[in-house]
Amino acid sequence: MRYVVGYTADERGHDAVCLAVALARRQGADLDLVLVTPERSPYAGTYLPDKGFESLLTDQLQEWMDQGLALVPEDVPARGVIVRAESNAEGLIQAAEDTEASLIVIGASSRGLTNRFNIGNVARSLLHASPVPVALAPKSYRRTDPITRMTCAVGNRAGADDVVAVAVSSAQRRGLPLRLVSLVALDAGHSDPEGMEDEANRRLAEAASALAAGGRVSVETAHGPSIEKAIEALAWDEGEVLLVGSSRLAQHMRIFLGSTANKILRTLTIPMIVVPRTYATPGTTGPGAQTHEADA
Amino acid sequence: MSIEKTTQKGSGLSKKGLDAGTVGLLGAVVIGVSCVAPAYTLTAALGPTVAEVGVQLPAIFLVGFIPMLLVAFGYRELNSAMPDSGTTFTWATRAFGPWVGWMGGWGLIAATVIVLSNLAAVAVDFFYLMLGQIFGNPAIADLTLNLPVNIATTLVFITLACYISYRGMETTKAVQYVLVTFQIIVLAWFAIAAFVHVANGTAFDATPISADWFNPFAVGSFSAFAAGVSLSIFIYWGWDVTLTMSEETRNPEKTPGRAGALTVVVIVVIYLTVALATLTFAGVGEGELGAGNPDNQESIFATLAGPVMGPFAILMSIAVLSSSAASLQSTFVSPARTLLAMGHYKALPKDYGRISPQYKSPSYATIAAAVAAAGFYVFTRLVSENALWDTITALGLMICFYYGITALACVWYFRAQAFSSARNILFRFLSPLLGGVILLVMFFKTATDSMDPAYGSGSELFGIGMVFILGVGVILLGAVLMLIWWRINPAFFRQEVILKGSAPKE
Repeated sequence: MRYVVGYTADERGHDAVCLAVALARRQGADLDLVLVTPERSPYAGTYLPDKGFESLLTDQLQEWMDQGLALVPEDVPARGVIVRAESNAEGLIQAAEDTEASLIVIGASSRGLTNRFNIGNVARSLLHASPVPVALAPKSYRRTDPITRMTCAVGNRAGADDVVAVAVSSAQRRGLPLRLVSLVALDAGHSDPEGMEDEANRRLAEAASALAAGGRVSVETAHGPSIEKAIEALAWDEGEVLLVGSSRLAQHMRIFLGSTANKILRTLTIPMIVVPRTYATPGTTGPGAQTHEADA
Repeated sequence: MSIEKTTQKGSGLSKKGLDAGTVGLLGAVVIGVSCVAPAYTLTAALGPTVAEVGVQLPAIFLVGFIPMLLVAFGYRELNSAMPDSGTTFTWATRAFGPWVGWMGGWGLIAATVIVLSNLAAVAVDFFYLMLGQIFGNPAIADLTLNLPVNIATTLVFITLACYISYRGMETTKAVQYVLVTFQIIVLAWFAIAAFVHVANGTAFDATPISADWFNPFAVGSFSAFAAGVSLSIFIYWGWDVTLTMSEETRNPEKTPGRAGALTVVVIVVIYLTVALATLTFAGVGEGELGAGNPDNQESIFATLAGPVMGPFAILMSIAVLSSSAASLQSTFVSPARTLLAMGHYKALPKDYGRISPQYKSPSYATIAAAVAAAGFYVFTRLVSENALWDTITALGLMICFYYGITALACVWYFRAQAFSSARNILFRFLSPLLGGVILLVMFFKTATDSMDPAYGSGSELFGIGMVFILGVGVILLGAVLMLIWWRINPAFFRQEVILKGSAPKE
């Protein structure tokens, strides 16, 4: 079991390392701290070509990598990997594929004007193209104790069953309690005219009953005037991780993260793991089922 | 894409830089031409050079290449002897010690900062010109003459380019091919159209081409000659990028040299053709479209593209705009990296040595370069009526200064091996010595002349020529900053960081 950690020598990278440690400790995974450095094109028209910068950058990357590895506690095996790639997302995906990693962990916080834009970009392009689940560490995530509970948010679209299946199997493997939550946004004053709540509950009940009897599974429905409010209304454990599925739009090369997941990301302060829609769930016999176990 | 694994304790980054062997001869020439940016260079430098040397423009364009070539040989030698240690700043520090090294680095930074402000200004001129042409409304083109609008737009351009460079975004191969091809086509179009006007008798001031135009000795005075040469150094600036390429090319033995030679041929043909076309179409008189009219000299294509190319003049606007915008963005890398190296080696406060964890580019240094370029532009625009012209002349001066230092650093660094082989005599001794001396002579001559308030565009401040203030002023500013930093942190100046040294005897 190997996780790729998208490491940058800043707070966000620190967030990612902490979350990776917390996840790895639950499952005994090894960490690859991956530093992506841009591939320089000779066609960039840089004048004068200054190879001195490359050697200074090399030293700096090495120093950063040492700092990053120092953040990982002794009991979690970790190594550093420096990757040249055109973009951060591409480098992380490549590293995950090359090492057959089962999860990519990145920091997803946003600070300041310029950073905010970019984080969106890195996270978005990663979520857009990643073949494996992506774990997003919230801002200032410093917890390194093993995670304590897994929550799976279920929408009412096709594909939700896949996410539930992934959640069930990974919670079981980790020996974690699992909570299935249906998020229902209701307009204030309207009393559920379309029976959304009924529908949500029915779906969750079905999912829960489909599970092996041995699992510790609870079912909740969260409502509020908006998705954000519904999330805020839920009680969260400190060591909790939220699992969501990707949007169906992913197949059309659009935004991979559904609008609901996006809203969750903006509201939540707990880590979130986004499972690709095409991700092989346990028991399926599609291509890739062997290489990528559903161990998010 | 390459992956290098490092262990928990030890480590080693992939030594592999660029993917080996991706650039062929054509690619290398495209890179060379793109670094020269001929459309931008011609519009910026043709006028000021005509102002100095008149119809001997073609002669000066040819002569100006010689010192450039000689220095480039020295540059290549230093680059291959100390491949991992930066450019002028580190080389000059190794050869001559910290003081000269610091000033060499400052000269490079100043030259690139000045060219940044000029690139942005030219881009802005042609941006409004293009908008005016698109909407058929000359009033829009004149917006660039409105001082607040001009300054604000230029600052926006500088900020954008800084941001792109900070983000580490680069021009791709395909874009570079398109930009270069487009520039060459448009410049050829301009030249042919001008010759056709002359043949049809519709030229503004048809002037027959004469063999005398190619005679550098026909230039009126040594002052004019020196000024012309220092301007022509600027027009070839960028060409030598091809010589420093090696592992990027498919054939490191032959490609760089061949590409360098071919790039020169392409550039010289473009320059001579456009120079001849301009002179024969417009003459060097001071008439409405004359190349001798000071109003036209700041940006020759802005004036002549319309009359010469008719409705297709918009292509020239696009060519100059794209060429200067692309260079603006890529040129940011250069001062930023030298500032970073100086910060790293304690020749500047250590903030300058910071690398962005996110983008792996110089962070503080890139922003500092942008602030300097913006400040330089605002200052020049406010105190000079001919800001573009004066900056180009000051730029020529600055390039002569730091190239001269680089060339002599080569001679001094390799002094123990200078006569150990015929090759060394030529490339490590004679060429850089001659090139360096020529450039420094041009530098001192032009610097002295430029004190005259009537020099160049005729702008002045307190009775001193504007070019002197911009060129020598910036160098003196560097000297003052160097002394201040020496008082604050003398480590670099005590050679605690970089030791003076020389190449061992072979």
